[in-house]
Amino acid sequence: MFIEPWIVDETMHEFFVPDYIEQMAEDVLRHYDLSVQSRQVVTTKPDKGGAIWKLETNKGPKSLKLLHRRPTRSLFSLGAQRYLVDVQNANVPPIVQTKEGIDYVEAGGKLWFVAEWIEPLFPVTKDLEGAKQLCYALGEFHRLSKGYVPPKGAEIASRLYKWPKTYEKTINKMDWFRQLAKAYKEMPASAMLLEVVDRFQVQARESFTRLQQSSYHQLIELGHSEWGLVHQDYGWSNGQMGADGMWIIDLDGVAYDLPIRDLRKLISGTMADLYRWDAQWVREMIRAYHEANPIDASLYDILMIDLSLPNEFYKNLKEVVYEPELFLTEQTMQLIEIIVATDETKWPVLAEIENDWKENGNR
Amino acid sequence: MNILMICTEKLPVPPVLGGAIQTYIAGILPHLHRAHRITVLGVQHETLPNEETIDGIHYVRVPGGIFDTYCDHVVQYVQAHSFDLIHIFNRPRLVLPIRQVAPHAKMTLSMHNDMFQVAKINREEAVEVIRQVSAIVTISNYIGQVIRDLYPEAEGKLRTIYSGVDSERFLPGNHSKMAPIRKQLRQAHGIDQKTVILFAGRLSPNKGVDKLIQALPELAKRFNDLALVIVGSKWFSEEGTTDYIAYVRSLAKRLPIPVVATGFVPPNEIQHWFAAADLFVCTSQWQEPLARVHYEAMAAGLPIVTTARGGNPEVIVPNENGVVVERPEDPQDFVEKMAYVLSNRTLMKKMGENGRKLATSLYRWERVASDLLRVWQHVEQTELSPMQATVSVEEIVEQVVEKQPTEPVLQPLKPIRKEVASNKKRKKAFVWAITT
Repeated sequence: MFIEPWIVDETMHEFFVPDYIEQMAEDVLRHYDLSVQSRQVVTTKPDKGGAIWKLETNKGPKSLKLLHRRPTRSLFSLGAQRYLVDVQNANVPPIVQTKEGIDYVEAGGKLWFVAEWIEPLFPVTKDLEGAKQLCYALGEFHRLSKGYVPPKGAEIASRLYKWPKTYEKTINKMDWFRQLAKAYKEMPASAMLLEVVDRFQVQARESFTRLQQSSYHQLIELGHSEWGLVHQDYGWSNGQMGADGMWIIDLDGVAYDLPIRDLRKLISGTMADLYRWDAQWVREMIRAYHEANPIDASLYDILMIDLSLPNEFYKNLKEVVYEPELFLTEQTMQLIEIIVATDETKWPVLAEIENDWKENGNR
Repeated sequence: MNILMICTEKLPVPPVLGGAIQTYIAGILPHLHRAHRITVLGVQHETLPNEETIDGIHYVRVPGGIFDTYCDHVVQYVQAHSFDLIHIFNRPRLVLPIRQVAPHAKMTLSMHNDMFQVAKINREEAVEVIRQVSAIVTISNYIGQVIRDLYPEAEGKLRTIYSGVDSERFLPGNHSKMAPIRKQLRQAHGIDQKTVILFAGRLSPNKGVDKLIQALPELAKRFNDLALVIVGSKWFSEEGTTDYIAYVRSLAKRLPIPVVATGFVPPNEIQHWFAAADLFVCTSQWQEPLARVHYEAMAAGLPIVTTARGGNPEVIVPNENGVVVERPEDPQDFVEKMAYVLSNRTLMKKMGENGRKLATSLYRWERVASDLLRVWQHVEQTELSPMQATVSVEEIVEQVVEKQPTEPVLQPLKPIRKEVASNKKRKKAFVWAITT
């Protein structure tokens, strides 16, 4: 029996998991030297076929995870988690081995694994202090992930060489938005989308040109394990405060990359939450990160370029491809207005901090 | 010779799961084993035994999926056996590990795409690979050129061998075997009275079917009987739907003409849709090695509209078996080229017939195999020095030209005004191809 994504409708419990998967979970747990007192679903990814349970056991609380990715891809992430704990002593949850001394169980064509449930964990405050704590912890995570080499049989998960492609994709998808706005021109948001898409496409083209002229191509020559890993899904929920410092959880998506991509996402996402760009926030976030994982001038330059991409516009509009007739509504029109307004505050901030690293050399 | 052919770690041979490289290997095998003892080493699959001999060809299948796993098993196998020549498909990174355990075997490579790119193999290794192999055959001049641009030292070892097609399976819609199927398919989808435009390929931005969809509203104004058939998987299933497929679907929903999206069609049934169509359009946006669909469309007697990307235009003589869209990023260029073809039924018919002729003469598997045999023969006669002797393409070509009787497959070529300049080069390559 192979695990497939499942459909959740409003009649079901929020964390519904199909019976056959619950049954598999039980079978999986037999591979562990644990007596499980309770098992409770804490999150699901029904559209991808993933789930997490919290276990109460004779050896304390644990998590059981069904990883939705290809097993060979999951091996890469599990190897990283073990490396970070065993070799680097990082604050990420240690993996619990099976009775046979293995880090995972394969069932239903997917990998499952058990890890320590870290308690207590609290989200940091949603203010600049919290943001700085997150940034410092992220820098530390990146620094410790250097040197990771995946185990035999694992896929190499990497975005390191893909930046130009990702930028091009952003440019090209602006064409898609334009074409859809034209094809569905009677929808409320279409006119607005058509009006602003050009400027964001110009921005994306500009970023792409800058990337190609930057030291990106030299930087990536350093190679995978010298750069280390990005988390790819880092923020207020996957970086949390524990009893003895910050912990980083949910490492399933880790991949080799230039580390500052995580930082860029954290910054642009935080500014979107503020509805405006704030030079002080951006500077202090970068500085907090830099303390844990120093950024040199060329990497800072790449960070500036990545911040210049129309990340928020792209992230929020890309859903339009699925059902334009449901997406291009009044609400989307208002969303676009907010994005445009926020974007206008971005450029003065980027101009202000542009030369921070040049004036002071490698701080 | 005792020859080992090594497939890739991804898909099994015979091509039970499809795949261009696997189709290529399966196509030439029947014509190779008469001259040599052939072992085919490939990846395991649940429907195939790990070792078997069929029609005189020995198959060995080892664990794969991941390159490193596969490489280990390949090396183990080569270490335990002895071969005169080892031919590796599209995995230059297998060359050096194999050389370690087979110091005296001659090695040749088949290149089907961009596996020599710097992101896929580092420079030092690539240089050594090129030194260690006696010849590198490529599926298009374009692929050879890419390798040459990166590694000029490969020059003397490169040789284009175009792929082939089973022209007994891919047949024109008016062939007695296909006519009923054509009729049935068209009726079943309500397009029996239409001029059917066919796209067959992966639904991805690289393959660019969205540009065709954008060209259609304009074309529909000029031609009132058009229908579009899109053969490619994942159209319907929500699971696995990409942003791109969603985009294409949202655009297609608004088209003023019937659109048939077939979803996944098993590889052994795909010829039916070629027989049901009237015009084949390849919309590739990326520098494509050379898509197999061109050969299949020719065998099915379809006029072809393709793009000036990668190796694709190498098999088109403009106005003879198709036309080439020079600016594939611009839907308007598709409008113009397609309108030109669609407005001249005599031309469409002639292009289809020429395509069929090419498929049954130049693009036979037998021809592909004999080209490869000739390369092997040459390699066999070349001494293997510690530094690796080089085989020059000139020598191979000389041999080929001497030995192969040429048959005229097309009438004299008549270029059209506008494209003369850009096509001159291409035509030269083509004429070279049909005469060698």
